[in-house]
Amino acid sequence: MNNITIEQTGMKFQCDGGDTILSAGLRSGLGLPHECTVGHCGMCKFELVEGKVEVLWQDAPGLSERDRSKGRMLACQCRPVEDSRIKIRLDEACRLVRPPRKTEAVLSGMTDITHDIREFRFQSDTEASFIAGQFALLKLPGVIGPRAYSMANLANKAGEWHFQVRRVMGGSGSNVLFDRLRLGDRVELDGPYGLAYLRTDAERDVVCMAGGSGLAPMLSIARGMAASGMMPERNLFFFYGARQPWDVCGEDYLKSLPGFGATISYHPSVSFPDEGWNGRTGFVHEALQDVLPGNFADYEYYMAGPPLMIRASVELLTGHHKVPLGQIHFDSFF
Amino acid sequence: MNAANRVIKIVCETRDVAHGCARRVELEGLPPLAVFNVDGEFYVTDDTCTHGDASLCEGDVEDGIVECPFHQGAFDVRTGKVVSAPCSVPLKTYEVTIVNGAVAVEVGD
Repeated sequence: MNNITIEQTGMKFQCDGGDTILSAGLRSGLGLPHECTVGHCGMCKFELVEGKVEVLWQDAPGLSERDRSKGRMLACQCRPVEDSRIKIRLDEACRLVRPPRKTEAVLSGMTDITHDIREFRFQSDTEASFIAGQFALLKLPGVIGPRAYSMANLANKAGEWHFQVRRVMGGSGSNVLFDRLRLGDRVELDGPYGLAYLRTDAERDVVCMAGGSGLAPMLSIARGMAASGMMPERNLFFFYGARQPWDVCGEDYLKSLPGFGATISYHPSVSFPDEGWNGRTGFVHEALQDVLPGNFADYEYYMAGPPLMIRASVELLTGHHKVPLGQIHFDSFF
Repeated sequence: MNAANRVIKIVCETRDVAHGCARRVELEGLPPLAVFNVDGEFYVTDDTCTHGDASLCEGDVEDGIVECPFHQGAFDVRTGKVVSAPCSVPLKTYEVTIVNGAVAVEVGD
């Protein structure tokens, strides 16, 4: 157990053996800046003032050459090996209302959603506590470093965690899930994390934009809207961007929600259509222009999917349509 | 958009922005702008970081790179290109002309 002191405020928190500085800080209820928690987004940069840390992933893409030359490190990739003092800018908006906890979870069910996306359902002894749109870290056997997967379901006392994972070519995490893990196998689950969660108090219609395995958190947002009583007052426009027709998914889940076809509408688009596809073609951000009535700045946006989809969408919304960044929610895994 | 509906707007005087420094300017009808003086060359970009609601002029500028004071994301002010995460959307840059000692930008009408 090592103590971490935050230079600017003098606040202290404890970091036990396995925890990174980021996880330990969030567990203790501090607003350490973060999005992905797995080395990509670059939000949790800090400077080590005193002490010593072990760096888990030296080449994490969240740090630029410029950051490295200034001696910066990522809190999600560092474990303290002695008491340390760090310089990091706390942000109340990054404090997790439900601090992440580690628990053991058993693989209890699987369902194929498309040819390469499968739902994996895990069961923990403790309740599944999270907000719609958040994710958890899974420590999988034989995989170095945890993998972040978003929950597709809602918080529940029964301890059910539903993830929808896309098989990635050469992706060690997804390959272990698809090929090695058997029903009844145990994994370590750490969560919830993530800031792209459903804002039930936002008085705007909602747009969900999903691509690839971004389906899960957007489905959770949709389910959360239905469960929280936001509907029928708020409309939900759900967009799914697929590469090919056989990648299109999500509608079956949405259909089971009250209000589908009225307050909830589903808009798939395919970027590489074949002759059999007679729906919308092109990228998901292009579909917004055809579908959304009125002013783009009057909506709350949630998105999850490939970096290109998110970048293009944010550029379109903030640049051309002047949507405030505060109305656009996503966790950057790039 | 064709050349006919573009206009030149004066942003500030060149002497308002010292070498290696930045200045925030608010003009009607435009988002807040940041004017940078990089070794005597002037560059104008949006002032608000593309990652969050922060003023880039409050960040450090070094060799043409501005660093956001919120999460140390960084941009090259000459091109708008992202240099450091967590920023991923490039910064909008404006075409600059110097007119009688004033920094002017070309914007849509």
